[in-house]
Amino acid sequence: MNLKTSFFLAYTSIKRGSKGTLVMTILIMTLAYVNLVFISSIFGGIVEAINKESINNQYSNIVIEPEIDKKYIDNKDAIQLIDTVPGIIASSAHYIDSTSISYDEYNDGNDIKKGKWVLKSIDIEDEVKVTEVHNSMIEGSYLESTDRDQIIIGKEIAGGHGGSLEHLSLGGVSVGDKIDVSFSNNIKRTYTVKGIFSVKSTQVDQMAFITKKEMESVLKVHNLASEILVKIDNVGEENIYINEIRNLGLRNEDIKRWDELMGFTSSASSSFIMISLILGIIGTIVAGVTIFIIIFVSVVNKRRQIGILKAIGMRESTIILSFVVQALFYAIVGIVLGVSFILFVLRPLFLANPLDFPVGWVSLKVTFNIIRISNISLLLASLVGGFFPAFRGARESILKSIWG
Amino acid sequence: MIIEVKNLKKTYEGRVPTHALKNINFGIKKGEFVALMGRSGSGKSTLLHQLGLLDTPTSGEIIMNGNNLVLLDEKKKSEFRLKELGYVFQSYALLPELTALESVYLPLMLLGVTKKEYIKKASEMLDKVGLGDRLQHLPREMSGGEQQRVAIARALVNSPAILFADEPTANLDTESSEVILKLFKKLNKEIGQTIVMVTHEPDDKKYVDRVIWLKDGVIES
Repeated sequence: MNLKTSFFLAYTSIKRGSKGTLVMTILIMTLAYVNLVFISSIFGGIVEAINKESINNQYSNIVIEPEIDKKYIDNKDAIQLIDTVPGIIASSAHYIDSTSISYDEYNDGNDIKKGKWVLKSIDIEDEVKVTEVHNSMIEGSYLESTDRDQIIIGKEIAGGHGGSLEHLSLGGVSVGDKIDVSFSNNIKRTYTVKGIFSVKSTQVDQMAFITKKEMESVLKVHNLASEILVKIDNVGEENIYINEIRNLGLRNEDIKRWDELMGFTSSASSSFIMISLILGIIGTIVAGVTIFIIIFVSVVNKRRQIGILKAIGMRESTIILSFVVQALFYAIVGIVLGVSFILFVLRPLFLANPLDFPVGWVSLKVTFNIIRISNISLLLASLVGGFFPAFRGARESILKSIWG
Repeated sequence: MIIEVKNLKKTYEGRVPTHALKNINFGIKKGEFVALMGRSGSGKSTLLHQLGLLDTPTSGEIIMNGNNLVLLDEKKKSEFRLKELGYVFQSYALLPELTALESVYLPLMLLGVTKKEYIKKASEMLDKVGLGDRLQHLPREMSGGEQQRVAIARALVNSPAILFADEPTANLDTESSEVILKLFKKLNKEIGQTIVMVTHEPDDKKYVDRVIWLKDGVIES
């Protein structure tokens, strides 16, 4: 193989060949590359939106639950110390109760709408550091520490806000309306709806919140917790902090990372990753076939020249390499233009205008890994797509190549 | 003898096998200018292709420097063609993307000659065929006769032992044909270049030292 000659032939062919064909080929490669990165990035964005939603509004990073057979986390000393662990931003303790909520719209005892929902209590100062529900009020306002007879409810409970479980809702509760809550210990209380929130998680939108003090007065408990959400600075290092938390004395409590609790959404994330992978493979094959066709047409058009090159003593490997170099050149230029288009046009566009998906606000998640895998995929596709037609053309006998 | 052919046969297999060459025996001396002539289908081009290692005979020997070239593998044949043989084809056979200079230095590049040297040698060779002022011209910017002279320069730049020419003037007008044939004659006389040329033009006889006549795959005289 003569590398210098292969590169020389590829260079002159690109430089002096048809400019129209060159532009079209590069355009096709750029689009094939953008397609590869875009598909992975948009699915990456969807998965990220799901994860972000779970972290911001439902689980935070770590969830501590009572040990088996216990209703509450009762190690009060340890609970107090969680926030002192370096790297932990904040923690928020909740009481959780299964409640029955009812709404008598006309206060006449007729057509009372009711359902069973999860009611959680929050310590306002802690909660705002851990979740983002306070930024998701679509009607009214968030709770304050002093509130006792006020409640905030998710849009799936309130109804009338385009929720996906409208038929199970209270049918259109508004701020200021009064709703009756029956707790699991049979205590009944009436609360005024202070606010209605809507996040991108149906599970959270089916919850209601009251203040910690109010819940403690109903449940007759003090400074305990049904669950504690813990927020940390570095997502991905949850296991390190779980160990730290255990070292505080919460040894038998059930402590989990947010992603262990995702359930349905976790399988949805896995499905999106799988779809992304399948579409990526199809995209790579399409790119490879495209390159194959481009090089095949070039080889067919240059069939006679290939025969001449062989006649003057050029080895088949040198001829094959010259076509492979061309294919790689198209791929590399396609990658450079594709990366530029994605990073400087598509990504900023999506960041400024994220898509409103049911799972959250979805933007393009362009990662180094996606870029790297797409680069390798396109280069490999070009290598294979360029090699086979070149190999086939170069293997033909000299006389057949020159005279057909 | 620079090349010797012994019992050379070429049969194209098929439903009815075609015996293109039947037991050919002859030799060519160093510095000879030989024409292979005969009617269409006589086997003259087939013989040239076997001699130039562009095709493999069914049987027989082609001896050069004591070696039977028929027995070489494809890689060795490529190398032999590059170092020892030169070709001029009927229809110019230049790469459209290469300038005259690039076309000519391509074989030297394959031989691993330095850039400075291959540019110098290729320029000299183009000058020798009268194209010293056409170095940077692409094939489409040259006439048929000029393109064929570039092909001759390319064939000669690596100083081949034998130059094979397959009807080199078939696509040229009378004037250009004469230029090419005179160039062959000049190269034969001045540098002692051995040339084997296939032609069907009876007039070309005046340029060559010897004519090998073929008829139905057999040497007539």
